Amino acid sequence: MTTNVPVIDAHPTVPGLPKNYLNCSRGFMSWAGTLDHKRIGIMYLIGTLLTFLAGGVFALLVRLHLWEPHGMLFTNEKYNQIFTLHGAFMVFLFVIPAIPGALGNMVLPLMLGAKDVALPRLNLLSFYLWLSGAVLATLAIVLGGFDTGWTFYAPYSLYTNQAVVTIGLAIFLLGFSSIFTGLNFIVTTHKLRAAGLTWFRMPLFVWAIYATAILQVLATPVLGITVLLVAFERLYHIGIFDPRLGGDPVLFEHFFWFYSHPAVYIMVLPAFGIISETVSVHSRKPLFGYKLIAFSSLAIAIISFLVWGHHMFTSGQSTYAMFAFSFLTFFVAIPTAIKEFSWVATIWKGSIALNSPMLYTLAFLIIFAIGGLTGVILGALNVDLHLHDTYFVVAHFHYVMMGSIALAFFAGLHHWWPKMFGVIYDETLAKIACGIIFVGFNITFVPQFIMGSQGMPRRYATYVDEFHGYHQVSTIGAMILGSGVALMVYYLVASLLQRKPAMENQWGGVTLDWQTPTPPPLENFYAPPKVTHEVYDYSTLDLKTLQRPVS
Amino acid sequence: MAAHTHNDGHAHGHADHHGHGELQMGHHHVSSTAMFTNVLMVLLVLTIVTVAVSRFDFGGANMLIAMGIASVKASFVILFFMHLKWDTAINKITFLCSFVFLSLLFIFTLADQATRRLDHDIHVVKTKVDKQWVHPSTLSGK
Amino acid sequence: MSHDGHHSVVIPAPGPEFVPHTVAHHFDTPVQEFQSLKLGFWLFLATEILLFGGLFAAYFYYHDLYPETFREGGRLLSWKLGALNTSVLLASSWTMAMGVRSAQTSQKKKTLIFCGLTVLGAAAFMVVKFFEYKSKHDHGLVIFTELFSGYDEAAKQLPWFKDYDGAMANVPHGHMFFAIYLTMTAIHGIHVLIGAGLILWIMKGTAKGRFHAGYYLPVDLVGLYWHLVDLIWIFLFPLLYLVP
Ligand SMILES: [Cu+2]
Repeated sequence: MTTNVPVIDAHPTVPGLPKNYLNCSRGFMSWAGTLDHKRIGIMYLIGTLLTFLAGGVFALLVRLHLWEPHGMLFTNEKYNQIFTLHGAFMVFLFVIPAIPGALGNMVLPLMLGAKDVALPRLNLLSFYLWLSGAVLATLAIVLGGFDTGWTFYAPYSLYTNQAVVTIGLAIFLLGFSSIFTGLNFIVTTHKLRAAGLTWFRMPLFVWAIYATAILQVLATPVLGITVLLVAFERLYHIGIFDPRLGGDPVLFEHFFWFYSHPAVYIMVLPAFGIISETVSVHSRKPLFGYKLIAFSSLAIAIISFLVWGHHMFTSGQSTYAMFAFSFLTFFVAIPTAIKEFSWVATIWKGSIALNSPMLYTLAFLIIFAIGGLTGVILGALNVDLHLHDTYFVVAHFHYVMMGSIALAFFAGLHHWWPKMFGVIYDETLAKIACGIIFVGFNITFVPQFIMGSQGMPRRYATYVDEFHGYHQVSTIGAMILGSGVALMVYYLVASLLQRKPAMENQWGGVTLDWQTPTPPPLENFYAPPKVTHEVYDYSTLDLKTLQRPVS
Repeated sequence: MAAHTHNDGHAHGHADHHGHGELQMGHHHVSSTAMFTNVLMVLLVLTIVTVAVSRFDFGGANMLIAMGIASVKASFVILFFMHLKWDTAINKITFLCSFVFLSLLFIFTLADQATRRLDHDIHVVKTKVDKQWVHPSTLSGK
Repeated sequence: MSHDGHHSVVIPAPGPEFVPHTVAHHFDTPVQEFQSLKLGFWLFLATEILLFGGLFAAYFYYHDLYPETFREGGRLLSWKLGALNTSVLLASSWTMAMGVRSAQTSQKKKTLIFCGLTVLGAAAFMVVKFFEYKSKHDHGLVIFTELFSGYDEAAKQLPWFKDYDGAMANVPHGHMFFAIYLTMTAIHGIHVLIGAGLILWIMKGTAKGRFHAGYYLPVDLVGLYWHLVDLIWIFLFPLLYLVP
């Protein structure tokens, strides 16, 4: 049973008075030099959305090229560069920084009832490190590109005659951007909680961002030293990863995946956090298993450090290590399943409002179930030997990266868009776009599961005729998916121009981020908030006005 | 964390403005000069011990001994010079975590390397099995 | 009270030679500010441990793989210079700890003296390091002028590792020990230089009277950084100079 949110009596925001964080100051420097977490969040949002669109264009080029078995657009070498660009842009410039950088910055201090993050200058530095990383990555394209895949595996990355050092430096900077963001959020969560906001009254988005931050701080430095070593290797040949000089490329893979498996959770945990919020607010129900979800985030963070070798089952790793890594991998499924079941149980018997954030959330729940379960399949040692480096893997991680994380990001974007800008987008177009994206996504990647299980290897510029049909369906799906995203960009930008005012509390949230004016003033709250309710307690919410009585 | 003694008796320029329990840890530990000097002496002596034990061959234990002494020295620096002994619980956990998670990198990476030598036995068996194995299609009623 | 965001908390100066400290606007109390920045810095130190940890993992990995190479390589380093540098760093850690203590007790002059001594320690460390590097350069173990010459594909030779004395001739991949030695000590040396720079910055602030019993946080944090540099060296010394 579904009911729509009653919005008739809700107060629209009054434009003009009093000033909010968007109109409190003007001019380029008021943004470029801002220490306000919300403005930094907006800058991250613009930046990461642009890199997402760039990465999306690279993806469409890849799919178009694969329309014909012998490739339509590029030489094989150029194709290698394009898919590398797609991977590197999406992973390092969009998926990792987008949710913490844009939505986390915007929402986390609001949810904690804080005036800002604990270290605002470091926050701005994080953004500029991200920006320098983005500029360097773009520069690397001009300097000859890079064709190593986003994984930069040695020894190929040591020998290829391309701009690997430049992109390595970019990744080093992006890594420290990510570290400083995580560090900042840990400190903020520990030290800047409002009065009465105990750990178990924190919204689950905060828990998720906190668990992510632990991973960012503890895993990313190893990526930093790894790309430095690759750079040294290329510059003065230290031999640590170079088999010509007695080095072992498998050590590179250990270092790389020590970071990059936890990095999968750096990407997906914030997405989980968003879903925990949207699923509760749009079902008007406290989260089922609040503590379980909170602790499962921490459990995932810790277990994710024990399983990285499942990416190396065909690399020459020892058989014993493979046993251990495969065995441990299955444990990740437990906390992840706890989350999925808790979300579904939250919806059950809820008063579901099918707003666009909820539609994106439901799409996430379906896609993530598939993305997660295919991951368990790949974690099984013997199955992975067959499926390794096939399109099955490609489809699996796109179900997680694009279908789950990007859709959760969209859910969060739609959920907090009215909060951020005080305007509301065209809800009908939003629902249509969500449908198009969901359909297009599945058309793109279901054929890839099938091709992969039949042996279509990933990263190839050409393929045998047997896969022609699958590739064409996949390409058509990608075009549908792309048009859905284009529609989304259109109505979001249009909402900023049309300026249709949003409600003070657009969806009827009860966490602190919805208890401040929309858009929030410069220091978030006019008076220091005191938390007296348990989290997700909708009992006192007036469904008509979506406001809590002032206590 | 309770209040700590101020050896020099300097009052802080501020009082706690709020009653929040978390905010009452306004007293910082000031260590005595003698303690710092003692720690330095211990560290210098342990440096001599490090050099001395490296002269003897304990076989594989040399690495363990050297790393053990280094860890003791490191603990002295962390606990006393870095004041972690008197720091908050969360700061202690934070720094400890870095070593715990670093040890995961060491354990799995080195375990892979060490057990690769054992792989030989598995490959012997596997080669035998591979030789006996026949593709099912060649077995069917042809 | 600072809740209205206009009046910040000010920690008064303990004497005329000091300046008061204004707590950042988004903190309610000085204690909150102190603890936030300190937790942040410990987190940063944790990232440093993991960053160096990768290098240590590489060390152990290749020490396992090529034990003879590491044993022979370690013999070619001067343990005396290594021990000297260890003592210099340990002593400078002591002076730094004393500097922090002096700031905690508002002793401006003593803070300046102890910080100055620490910078001298850093300088001494780098001078010893220079002579060590020079000796490796002269013996063709790490030829710094050839570092960026690239790998000689035809001769299958590394231009920066010539081993004039043939000291590593009988062990496999002799350059491997020196590659790890160079990478670890160079990255550590960069940290020494950064640390010295930070201490100089602290001395500037101390001279202006910014640090005193009410507010000594930056001195404390730079001190922690300097101790971390020492901490890493404590492990580097036996691993490189006394290869077990
Ligand atoms: Cu993984």
